[in-house]
Amino acid sequence: MAATPGRSRSAQTSSAQGIAIAIIFVIAITPAIVGQIVLPSGVIKPLSTQGLPGTLINIGFYISISIIFAILALGFNLQWGYTGLFNAGVAGFYLIGAYVAAFAITAPSPPIVIANVVVYPGHLGGYSLPFVAGAILAMIASGGTAAVLALPALRLRADYLAIATLAFAVILQIFARNLTSLTGGAIGVVLIPKPIELQPPSAFFNTMTIIGIGAAVLLFLLLLLQFISESPWGRVLRAVREDEEATMALGKNTFRYKLQAFALGGAVMGLAGALYASTVGYVQESYFAPAVTFSVWVMVIVGGSGNNRGVIIGAFLIYGLEWFSVQMKDYFTDFGDQIFYVRLMVVGALLILLILFRPEGILRETKRVLR
Amino acid sequence: MARAPESRSRFTRRLARLWEGLHPTPRFRRQVLRGLLVAGIFVAFVAILTSLYGTVILRYVLAGFVTSSFVIVAAIGLTVLYGIRGFANFAYGDIMTLGAYIALLVSLGGISIVWGALVAFVVVGLVGVLLEVVIFSRLEGRGPVPPIVASVGLALIIQNAIRVIATTRPYLYPYPRVQDIPIAPGVGIGPYSQIATLGVGLLFMISAHVLLKYTNLGKAMRATADNLELAKATGIDTKRVTYAAWVVSCSFASTAGVLIGVSAVVSPTLGFDSLLLIFAAVIVGGIGSPYGAMLGGLLVGLSQEMSVPVLLWLGSSGILQLEHPDAIKAAVPFMILIVVLILRPWGIAGRRPTFARRAFFIERLSRVLGERGPIANPPTDDQGEG
Repeated sequence: MAATPGRSRSAQTSSAQGIAIAIIFVIAITPAIVGQIVLPSGVIKPLSTQGLPGTLINIGFYISISIIFAILALGFNLQWGYTGLFNAGVAGFYLIGAYVAAFAITAPSPPIVIANVVVYPGHLGGYSLPFVAGAILAMIASGGTAAVLALPALRLRADYLAIATLAFAVILQIFARNLTSLTGGAIGVVLIPKPIELQPPSAFFNTMTIIGIGAAVLLFLLLLLQFISESPWGRVLRAVREDEEATMALGKNTFRYKLQAFALGGAVMGLAGALYASTVGYVQESYFAPAVTFSVWVMVIVGGSGNNRGVIIGAFLIYGLEWFSVQMKDYFTDFGDQIFYVRLMVVGALLILLILFRPEGILRETKRVLR
Repeated sequence: MARAPESRSRFTRRLARLWEGLHPTPRFRRQVLRGLLVAGIFVAFVAILTSLYGTVILRYVLAGFVTSSFVIVAAIGLTVLYGIRGFANFAYGDIMTLGAYIALLVSLGGISIVWGALVAFVVVGLVGVLLEVVIFSRLEGRGPVPPIVASVGLALIIQNAIRVIATTRPYLYPYPRVQDIPIAPGVGIGPYSQIATLGVGLLFMISAHVLLKYTNLGKAMRATADNLELAKATGIDTKRVTYAAWVVSCSFASTAGVLIGVSAVVSPTLGFDSLLLIFAAVIVGGIGSPYGAMLGGLLVGLSQEMSVPVLLWLGSSGILQLEHPDAIKAAVPFMILIVVLILRPWGIAGRRPTFARRAFFIERLSRVLGERGPIANPPTDDQGEG
């Protein structure tokens, strides 16, 4: 389908990518529209209460979060799909990005104490910086942490690396919950401003600006990563994935390449965290559970690891599943939270079935031959 | 009277042979000495703490031993499978949860929890074989990542199936809740929740030792874990050994899950929450080494529980501002894990892998060539007797 023009030259690549992106957006919106049509109007409570604008906001919310997951999946794809570094701590880098951006762009929030009871412990920062500065800081913090973690961890075998990075993510979550005076504890950071505050405030146009910003960032990242993966640097990364010792024998400092790829992937995840903080408006530690990491794995495996367009499609599909389960929960109120658990079971079954029967995903990695 | 010296000499000879049977190689002797040294330092440390802060501190030591007993049971199971199948089973925690819930289901019929644990032991062991046949045998030879991904999928399925069927509410096992037996001022020990856990932990350690050291199956398992190709070449049915490893691993997991349920509550995340603790124990001890897992479990469990007084002190003296200082104790094993992974990825009890492989080949080569190693009796001894 859209992935076949892999061997096309740069002139053709951009048009092929345009088609791919169009397909992605069609696939993206399908579950949202289906969710709206299948369910009678008015049952979708959280975001849509009145007619068409509410429905559009609901779909817009789905698209904006899917874009964030697509960015996460791109970061993980750079690490695993291209370089073969199996990172089980995606949620940790995401958390760093979200918290750092939240610290940078919120207004100062002192602790709130009512009758000697700490209602809100306050949090670090509160510099009211513009969103761009927050996003850059988040990327620096996340990428820097990834580089520091990578220095020892990348010398390990794949399964040790997975355990070490998973432990890293869990430690971060524990600290974010318990260092209450720094992070706001279980309440987290609230009242995070939007990238562009509209006057007068309008939920509809807010959602649309966020989608616009997110789509621009996603498009830029897709083009950048596509360019990177076709460059000599990306070729070395794929060589490291296929046979590290042979690459070493060709005179490449493979550790340096692995470190760079890991840090760059971490920075991309940090950017996703900054977008998340600004989109949702609050950051809580309970969201950054290992389940986020596993979801990103599924997105990359479904879409096709090593194929940037594929992982974006995977992100929209798998987040569509989650979004759909939220809609279903409102429809079948007597189900309660069961539907979420059923969704996670479906995700688990997908992981097993895909890894058994179609490990290359929907869009397989484009084959490259020597010319 | 003339027989006395001869009988004495026969007795001493027998003693000497027994001593040789124990293989007191220099390395073994060094390890025993090192172990005694560490144990002595630990006892002295606890004694100093007790004299400084009173016997209340012993509560944390006791909690450390209880935690390490279920960590050890789980870590032995995980490391046996890791050694033989060669992948990190991320579903292990949820297999533990499955065992705990099966035991709960059985004991809801009014039967003792011991029977529930036994039923879970058998059932979950069979589930392990099923998993190998249906999923993991198909992923053999595809590197370490595909089995990890599949096991995460399995973990999600088990955990959420339990949430759907049994809901997320925590359950208590039906056993008499009695008062703790005081053993020191301010310290009590629960007869069911703590003594039983310690006893079961010890029992499983001994049975793992007997299984691996004195049975043919155990020897085959150790050989397969050492070198799969070599084990196949020497005629070991490695397929059967793999199934046996799954049975051992999963039944140990079920018992560890029951132990956690006995000392706390049964909840759907019981196993997943302690998964990283168990991984820490396995890696600290050296992957694939059951004795290392015992050592690692002890280290991880004790350090987690004994960090609580330190964290309480840090919180009360205002160095760290913590709302729940003891919640951070869960991060301590992970820090140990990351430090060990950085400094000694082959574990504190293990040896550098390349060196171990070389030593293994040298030993094997000398055995093939008929040369006797330093362990066996020198030939002159036998000739003198004859």
